[in-house]
Amino acid sequence: MLSLLDIAERMQKGPKLDENAWNMGLFHKMNELTERYQLYYPEDGSILNMDDDLADRAFQAALDFLVDKGVYCLSTGRVLQFTEQEILTTIKGMPREVAVGEGKDVRVLKQRRLEEKEALNHCPGHHAPFDEKLAPLVIKSFAEIPTADYLEGVNFPMVDGREIFGLPLEVYAAKREATLMRQGVTRAGRPGLAIAYYPINTRAPVLIAPIDREVGLRPSDGILLSVLPDIKVEQDYLTAAIVWEEYGGFKLNGSGGGYVGGFSGGLGGALIEGIVATLTGWIVYRDIACWGRIRSGMALASAKDISVKIPEVWATSVWSQALHRHTNYIIFIGAGGFSGPGCENHLLEVAFNAVTIPINGANIHITRQYRARMNASQSPLDAEWSYEVAVAVMKAGLDKQATGDLLLKLAEKLKGRIPEAPYHDIREFYDLVHHRPLPAFEQAYLKVKEDLTRLGLDFS
Amino acid sequence: MATDSETKEALDGLKEAILRYDAEAARKAAQIIVDRGINPVLALKEAFGETANVLHERFDSGECYLPHLVMAGDAMTAASEILESAVARDSVAAKKIVVIGTVEADLHSVGKNIVAMMLRSGGFEVHDLGVDVKSSMFISRAKETNADIIALSSLLTTTRPYQREVIEELESLGLRERFKVMVGGGPITPEWAKQIGADGYGADAMEGLEVAKRLTGLSS
Repeated sequence: MLSLLDIAERMQKGPKLDENAWNMGLFHKMNELTERYQLYYPEDGSILNMDDDLADRAFQAALDFLVDKGVYCLSTGRVLQFTEQEILTTIKGMPREVAVGEGKDVRVLKQRRLEEKEALNHCPGHHAPFDEKLAPLVIKSFAEIPTADYLEGVNFPMVDGREIFGLPLEVYAAKREATLMRQGVTRAGRPGLAIAYYPINTRAPVLIAPIDREVGLRPSDGILLSVLPDIKVEQDYLTAAIVWEEYGGFKLNGSGGGYVGGFSGGLGGALIEGIVATLTGWIVYRDIACWGRIRSGMALASAKDISVKIPEVWATSVWSQALHRHTNYIIFIGAGGFSGPGCENHLLEVAFNAVTIPINGANIHITRQYRARMNASQSPLDAEWSYEVAVAVMKAGLDKQATGDLLLKLAEKLKGRIPEAPYHDIREFYDLVHHRPLPAFEQAYLKVKEDLTRLGLDFS
Repeated sequence: MATDSETKEALDGLKEAILRYDAEAARKAAQIIVDRGINPVLALKEAFGETANVLHERFDSGECYLPHLVMAGDAMTAASEILESAVARDSVAAKKIVVIGTVEADLHSVGKNIVAMMLRSGGFEVHDLGVDVKSSMFISRAKETNADIIALSSLLTTTRPYQREVIEELESLGLRERFKVMVGGGPITPEWAKQIGADGYGADAMEGLEVAKRLTGLSS
């Protein structure tokens, strides 16, 4: 099994390659592998993959990629190369479950099986900016969600009234994020709830600074160390991975998916990228879980409407199936959407994504709007809603076919709707003090819940 | 002197080569244009303008991807080398130059890559510095290339101050008037752009392209 120090050496000694050459090489390789393994959307309207063999082929394509091309280190402009044996033995070391948090708040993150009704893990919140004054109440409010297994951190532009700018203040802010998170979960009566540090930025000192058994992040906490798009890794992240590994904290990959339209090309390439990126997270950083999806990179920046791209939902199911069938990887799928929180559109998008989660053997990740906005990216209610929907789907005992039918009906509801973000501040639609939605938001929630009840889900 | 139909055929040949992402075919098509005595400036304007619109529509609709924009950009570059050599230097409008990157301490690249490719296929000469780019590097590259625009991407609330740093450094070096600065990225808003004195803001890649054109006088 490769160690993180093996990775460190390969970052320094691997063959040099220009980044543009890597990018275009990625495209050509993904095209070749897509063709070789016939990783095409079946064009029959399927919204979930029904073909186990295709999932297996997708996984093999990802292995081929790693053996043939490796992974690119952005910091050194070198390629990390692996043998198939190294990859397979390293993947075997993935844990199927990991304990996070401590005391009465310890939870076990685990790989759920495809199509089963096992309990879901839930990360309800953050990975979003909230200003420093609002953050404590927000954190407390999310920590009060009983289903929360861990929370991701918040970031903010000012700390102690000063702009976070320059390494010294960035390090200070990193430590402050950790203490804010710890205070917030403690105030919620959950002092041991696991926290996953959301990096203030990507420099090594800033990634390591929040480690502090007393007031910061403990060995029962973790950090986001994500694989970069286009299968790229980076030395600051590896530095942090080595430190956190020894400290005992867990690491998460926030980029387990693939981007359609990027340098991996179309849907097949994005699918392979998604699997490779997920494996790379474990191989290079020892990320024990990831969240991701296969989706259009362009749309992340700006979508004209929130219509569901059915082939991307299908590809996400292939991604998930491939990883479940061949690894122990713990997978989360994000439940957020293009719309901002507090409105019907966002609740529908969250519901759609939540329906995909149990059938894909995944767990629930945050409901944050894709394009995060200060103080207005998500609320505890959308997080709770995502969990409600996922549980209702499991309770209904829907198999893949029935889940697919439900998704198609929901997709119809989303068709042509425009992404909206009617609020600029969470307090305009959610009462953080009393942990409840304000009337207009509650109305929207009840309406969408009624819509889903009529579609056959039971929320009792 | 080429007839109208010969001109149309030649220009169509160039457009098709670009839209097939074929640099060699574009080079040959450009040579045909020159050999037939067709106005190269007309070819540059018409063929590139039309193909850029088609490419952006294709990208927007998911019909083509970033690598296609790279290859189309290569085809345009191959063609323009031939066409520009056939005209007097002062009768060809110099390509507008953009230096682009993600600011210091930020590794996000997806949006920046899309903007860079849109600009390139939109006729700009683009120098993409990558990610985690120091402010001084943006400025030194802009000076070296005689850039028109410095385009700064930031995807973290905590890294956006580096966009302001670039502007402040330009001011302190007495270079502020020399370069237009445009900004974009997830946490970036028109208010932030105005606050830091940026010349333009793009909410997404398409808007970024329009802003770049406006800043360089390529559109009204």
